[in-house]
Amino acid sequence: MEALLDQARTIWEGEIDFHGQRLAEYLNYGLLSLFGFIAFLVGFIAQDIYQTLYIGLGGTALTFLIVVPPWPFFNRHPLAWLPPRTGRGTDYGEIVVDGKKVG
Amino acid sequence: MHNTLTRAQNVFGYFTSVAFAVAAAIAVSIVLSAQAPTASLELHNVQVVKGRPHYYSTKREEFAHVKFDLDADLSSVFNWNTKQIFVYITASYPSSNPSSIPASESVIWDAIIPASNAPWHQNTYIHPPNANAKPEKKTKKPAKKAETGKRDNQKAYPAGAKPGVIKLEKGMPKYQITDVTGKIAERQNATLTLHWNVQPWVGLLVWDNRRTYGRWQGLKGGDASFDFPSLQGTQVKKEDLKTATGAERNRGSPA
Repeated sequence: MEALLDQARTIWEGEIDFHGQRLAEYLNYGLLSLFGFIAFLVGFIAQDIYQTLYIGLGGTALTFLIVVPPWPFFNRHPLAWLPPRTGRGTDYGEIVVDGKKVG
Repeated sequence: MHNTLTRAQNVFGYFTSVAFAVAAAIAVSIVLSAQAPTASLELHNVQVVKGRPHYYSTKREEFAHVKFDLDADLSSVFNWNTKQIFVYITASYPSSNPSSIPASESVIWDAIIPASNAPWHQNTYIHPPNANAKPEKKTKKPAKKAETGKRDNQKAYPAGAKPGVIKLEKGMPKYQITDVTGKIAERQNATLTLHWNVQPWVGLLVWDNRRTYGRWQGLKGGDASFDFPSLQGTQVKKEDLKTATGAERNRGSPA
């Protein structure tokens, strides 16, 4: 049961790694700006404001689809976490931060 | 951007910014569309009679009934960001003391003219059939067609015409006008003027322009001078004082 709930929460939260977050941000700004520009241009050339509306809304829907779900390409650089603490005390082994021992 | 909810919020947030920017660009882009409206407005007939402002009124006022001939081509006013234009004709006359009191201005006729891609609305102005149109077209009654429910196919204009082309001969006013003093007969130097508002899909409401701004040429024509006649009595037939009723009278009644 616990494992099942954990899995459900992972799917719901849909976390992605740090590289994925940067990529998602670029895609968000890039795609929405691009679709907005195309929408205006097509509508202006065709002199039809409905085309602007539909391209704008369609592009936004597509951007939602690309950016929001935790696609595998957002999770290609998983972070290597420290091994979990098993006992009490300092059995981390050696922790080195910026060349200094801290643990 | 680390989890689904944050990403959804970020995408939606930036979408609102893009939508606003595109809307602003559309609103500004209309200055690029050239327009050259022309109109010829002439007084056909004006009569002044006494009447009651409303049924229970004990006071009788003078009412002017102004008929006009309008031949306007406002089709170039429509551009890709035009939802509809509101066209109206005013009769204005100077006050007794023009240096301190501004002229009076009353609307005698108006119409809502939708762009060709605007959805059908029951208040849409339906152009009366042209006098030189074929007789078979005359028999078509647009109002009856509307009742059958085939509104999407209905055009507010005679076949082949464009929105903004208005041709009214012996056009009846929609409103009979009076003055606050109750006296309107024999006033001099009155003017009939054609006006309009352009209502865009997004952006600012634009009024009619008599001067040229960039690619927008000012209206050519659209004014007519006249004097109000003296009060007429019972020799005026009731049929001559009829007013045109717009489709907006449907407001509130079942479609």
